[in-house]
Amino acid sequence: MALLELEEVTKRYGQLLVTDRVSLRVDEGALVGMVGPNGAGKTTLFGIISGDARPEGGRVSFDGVTVNRLDPAARCRMGIGRTYQVPRPFGGMTVFENILMATQQGGRLRGRESRLAAASVLGRTGLEGLANRPAGTLGLLGRKRLEVARALATRPRLLLLDEVAGGLTDPEVAELMDVVRSIRSEGVAIVWIEHVVRALIDTVDRLVCLASGRLVADGAPAVVLSDPSVREVYLGTDVAADPGART
Amino acid sequence: MTTQERAPTPRTAASGTLHVRRAGASGTLVGAAGLVVLVVFAFMPVIVSEADTTLLVNFFVLLTMAVMWNLLAGYAGMVSIGQQAFVGLGGYGVLVLAMNGFDPVAAIPVAAVVAALIAVPVSVLLFRLGGGYFAIATWVVADTAQIVVSSITSLGGGTGHPVPGLSSMSPHTFAETTYWAALAVVSVSLGIAYGLLRSPLGLLMAAVRDDEVSARSAGARVMTTRRIVYVVAALGCGAAGAILAVSQLQVQPSSIFSVQWAAEMIFVSMIGGMGTLEGPILGTVLFFVLQQNLAQDGAWYLIIFGAVAVLVAIWTPRGLWGAIRQRTGIELFPVGYRLHGGARGLVTQAQLLDGGSAAGSNGPGSRAGAVWRRLRS
Repeated sequence: MALLELEEVTKRYGQLLVTDRVSLRVDEGALVGMVGPNGAGKTTLFGIISGDARPEGGRVSFDGVTVNRLDPAARCRMGIGRTYQVPRPFGGMTVFENILMATQQGGRLRGRESRLAAASVLGRTGLEGLANRPAGTLGLLGRKRLEVARALATRPRLLLLDEVAGGLTDPEVAELMDVVRSIRSEGVAIVWIEHVVRALIDTVDRLVCLASGRLVADGAPAVVLSDPSVREVYLGTDVAADPGART
Repeated sequence: MTTQERAPTPRTAASGTLHVRRAGASGTLVGAAGLVVLVVFAFMPVIVSEADTTLLVNFFVLLTMAVMWNLLAGYAGMVSIGQQAFVGLGGYGVLVLAMNGFDPVAAIPVAAVVAALIAVPVSVLLFRLGGGYFAIATWVVADTAQIVVSSITSLGGGTGHPVPGLSSMSPHTFAETTYWAALAVVSVSLGIAYGLLRSPLGLLMAAVRDDEVSARSAGARVMTTRRIVYVVAALGCGAAGAILAVSQLQVQPSSIFSVQWAAEMIFVSMIGGMGTLEGPILGTVLFFVLQQNLAQDGAWYLIIFGAVAVLVAIWTPRGLWGAIRQRTGIELFPVGYRLHGGARGLVTQAQLLDGGSAAGSNGPGSRAGAVWRRLRS
């Protein structure tokens, strides 16, 4: 059974159709990359899955349950964790407190267990040295890591990563990739939006491409990247030959 | 297990052990110190004059309100300028119960609970609004409550009503009883605030204040969190109003529902430092010191209050306690969390828990050895 299933999901902002009858299945433990030009509706689709955005039509189901009417907190507690493209840390709290809050709320752990889980997430995301820093004082890499850490701390079964590698240097991207691979190795399903296409194709087992709110391709990375409709979307950019290309 | 809470020797960083500790002073120490302070204050009526006990009652009342307003605005980000609604309801709660034969002092907790219960439906209406609209609406609620209460003739209408059942006490007993009741209210209020902030709700409140959207996505039930804090604040303000009704021997709508309560609780929280437990205490002390020394100078006292508020807002927006904490790192109430321990220990711990998949072993964790002392930048 699919862990996440979108059926004919539609979302408008006024006259603008940002999500146009998108259907998507994500299986337990899958690692799916999502690409598409700016304004394709990738982040909106994440919002629809996490509950931040309400679709006008279609059905979103998670673990066999229709979640259309559930708020983000309830979905998080069911096992949907997400990061934000522009990091949204709790600036007045320390890094450790940011993570601890997530293990206690989304992760539904209490007391000693919640602290252990938070410490473990700190270690896995390479944030140990920053544990007691106020999150508001972190640099970009720290903030991106914290986004992943906090989402991971909610103990998700499905993790939505929204451009966690954007704006980072190559070694930093490599470090984040290690983190993502380790999360994946535990059976957490991941949907990963990334503009750095190279970061994706080395890691994902499936790639989907969104353009103007529609799902234009879905399949193995190499197949998707050589798909004519995907090439057209990228305005003739030879994405396969120049995987680092940005739109 | 190598991880322990409040470790006996937290400075053994090299031992490869991770310690999660509460920031600042140790919990036991704070508990013991609090108990000593409480005992000293409990004996005050024996030591000081009756005029001083009355002053202390007013101090406790304002401190209770300030602690509650700080929970609302400083921690949960709900700026209310209408907490006098619950001050008034608490006062009138005592009056109604006393008129029906209840002992007024025993009615204090009951009246506070009534104020808290009224806060539940009020919160449903108010929480539909955000930011400035929320603030104005709280004031509207307070004014509405005052108008409604003033129109009840059996409660004395606009002129108010004396609280029955207090005249049987001797002046001395009355002063002592009021004092101890006020001391109990402020102690319980501080205890509740401290307990809330140390509980998961403390982190939750701060997270919701810092970023509501991402808090939700991390599983925070935002409305429930806000409602709990709002109801607790109503409970505290209701108790403060109930004490006022008893200590002033009467309730009068325009004074007990006065917006001046809101102004005072905001003033002391702001100059003391919002978002810290110590701030409102420091602010309230300062308020009373200024008031005692300047009250005879008439209008000057208000001008100086205003000047102090402006100066604090300009130079230390986090209030006086915020400035003290920044300079000295002192935290009297340990509500935050601090990690202490060796980086190697942490990675080992992570690997133990995650079946060896810790990315920290080749991440920045390995270079972080030296960083693992007390990290508090």
